[in-house]
Amino acid sequence: MAAPLLEIKDLVTVFHTSDGRLPAVDGVSLSIERGQTLGLVGESGCGKSVTAMSTLRLVSSPGRIESGSIMFTTEGESIDLVTTPEKQLRKVRGGRIGMIFQEPMTSLNPVFTIGNQIAEAVQLHRKVSRSEARSRALEMLHLVRLADPEQRLDAYPHQLSGGMRQRVMIAIALACEPDLIIADEPTTALDVTIQAQILELLDDLRSRLGTAILLITHDLGVVAETCDDVAVMYAGRIVEQASAVELFSRPLHPYTIGLLQARPNVDARDSGPLATIPGMVPPPQDFPSGCRFHPRCSHAREPQCNVEPPSLREVSPGHFVRCHFAEEINS
Amino acid sequence: MNQEKMRVSEEIEAAKPSRGFWSDAWQRYRRRPIGMLALGFVLFLTIVAIFAPAIAGTKPVVCSYKGTLYFPCLGYFNRSWESPIFTKDKFRGTYPKNLKQKDPESWAVWPLVFQDPYRRVRENEWPGRRENPSRDEGHPNRLNLFGTDQYGVDIFAKMVHGTTIALLVGFVSMGLAGSIGVLVGALGGYFGGWVDMITSRLTEIVMCIPTLVLILALIAVVEKPTIWKTMAIIGATGWTGIARLTRAEFLRLRQTEFVMAARATGAGSLRIMFRHILPNALAPVLVPITFGIASAILVEGSLSFLGFGPPPPTASWGSVLNSARSNLQLWWLVVFPGAGIFLTVLAYNLVGEGLQEATDPRLREAKK
Repeated sequence: MAAPLLEIKDLVTVFHTSDGRLPAVDGVSLSIERGQTLGLVGESGCGKSVTAMSTLRLVSSPGRIESGSIMFTTEGESIDLVTTPEKQLRKVRGGRIGMIFQEPMTSLNPVFTIGNQIAEAVQLHRKVSRSEARSRALEMLHLVRLADPEQRLDAYPHQLSGGMRQRVMIAIALACEPDLIIADEPTTALDVTIQAQILELLDDLRSRLGTAILLITHDLGVVAETCDDVAVMYAGRIVEQASAVELFSRPLHPYTIGLLQARPNVDARDSGPLATIPGMVPPPQDFPSGCRFHPRCSHAREPQCNVEPPSLREVSPGHFVRCHFAEEINS
Repeated sequence: MNQEKMRVSEEIEAAKPSRGFWSDAWQRYRRRPIGMLALGFVLFLTIVAIFAPAIAGTKPVVCSYKGTLYFPCLGYFNRSWESPIFTKDKFRGTYPKNLKQKDPESWAVWPLVFQDPYRRVRENEWPGRRENPSRDEGHPNRLNLFGTDQYGVDIFAKMVHGTTIALLVGFVSMGLAGSIGVLVGALGGYFGGWVDMITSRLTEIVMCIPTLVLILALIAVVEKPTIWKTMAIIGATGWTGIARLTRAEFLRLRQTEFVMAARATGAGSLRIMFRHILPNALAPVLVPITFGIASAILVEGSLSFLGFGPPPPTASWGSVLNSARSNLQLWWLVVFPGAGIFLTVLAYNLVGEGLQEATDPRLREAKK
């Protein structure tokens, strides 16, 4: 079998601060196949965004990738994004891997027109003339279905709404026909109706262009709609990974179960207040011993859970869980 | 209802033609009459500086001599731009008579005011005109608008030609200071860490050097002090404020999402610094440059006043003031160059202030 498009292995990204060494991402492994969508889910502060940033080595000081490998395979060539020289990495950034950020309001440069910014992305990776880049920009605006693309080409970011700007961001990310798009909470800053449109657009582009997507979100609804596979992250580690269908029908990790229960259910009326998971995600400086979820887990048992860190094991084909008692809990 | 209204206003906003940051700032700048007046004055000075030889001089702007067209007035900018034929034919700087005598067919277009900034205009140099008065007789009069100095040299001509020096000092030294300041500040602010450490300390060290004293010291050492060397020194010491502001802007902007987004599209450090960050940092940096021009003009004025300015043939406002030092009864030697320096510095400061108000979002909101 061919190597997956992107394979992250045992990635450890740490932040060296006055509080000491903080592992924001602590041994994450993920893989994405061509044309697939992988959802990376978790609460704020669990390390999702740092994982995404690490993939393109965009983590800035004091953060640093300490170990692990990120193999990116394209056109029959594999490179390790962790060790590849900066110059080569720049070709991958934007060229082979596009990135969409959370905040469309601030991710565009306020002093340039959007046409200019898309054209720049094209010119960075392809030897094209100014006018060719511009026509490519127009083409991209058509592709992301921005209303009135001819006129918007010369608009400044502040003249566009949030949804429009996110479309522009997608256009920039897709301008060089990358193999992979990393979307870091692309819909968080948008209102609900726009969210649905953007997700639909991403999904449509994926099926038309064959671009794989790493979708980072804290919204399980988004995952259910768009993803093939899902990885759930908690406190810098992946706690459960399975196909979307499997995960939603048979969640095994208490954290995943908690997340699913914490969603409002449209069918059940008068079901009372929403279920919650007590407590907060611990900050990296005080990750608990043993299973990192045990202080918040209703199934936690002494002494195993607070001493022995569980490993990520395959309980059924393609379904990985990091819990000592996964089978028990589920039955 | 409220939302509806917002929608409508948003649509109106979207329907307007694209307006960039600078045209927006210009719209705001235009609303301040004082700023516009100052800008007008600065433009006026620039025009005077560029066309100085055509405004006051004793060399024709254009003349036809022995069948060829010449522009002898360019000799005021650079000696060698005056055609050698006039030296060969022994004009000795006096054109009106010589042209007529040596080529009766010749014609010439003369400067608006027939007065020379470097020498006294003699009797009958211009047909039927008396010699320039000197000393106590040199009051401002019809022929010498701003009077003459103790040697009979016309002050108006000196002032007009001095404009070139004043503006040149402002622009060249601040151009230099601006480039150094932006570069140093950008490097420190963008890379941070030890780079920032070095550039910040360097800035602080240079900041401690008093410009005027350094220039005086260098003039004592340098063999041939020219106006260019003075400009270079003003520029090489005046960049600290610009560097600090640029650094602050870069520190702020490198954290922004659009810089991260630019990195994610594969842009290199240089491109990010100068294409993505600099245009966003330019407005706050432009303001101290404008103020810097004013202070550079002031420094040059003080130097010339102290007698350390450009060597004698060069006309500068400060050197006119200097000649007034020993002839205080000749009030016109004080008033006109003094007013020139004062108004120019004031105008640049007002332009800088207007620019600040037009580009600084906080000041803008405070006004509302």
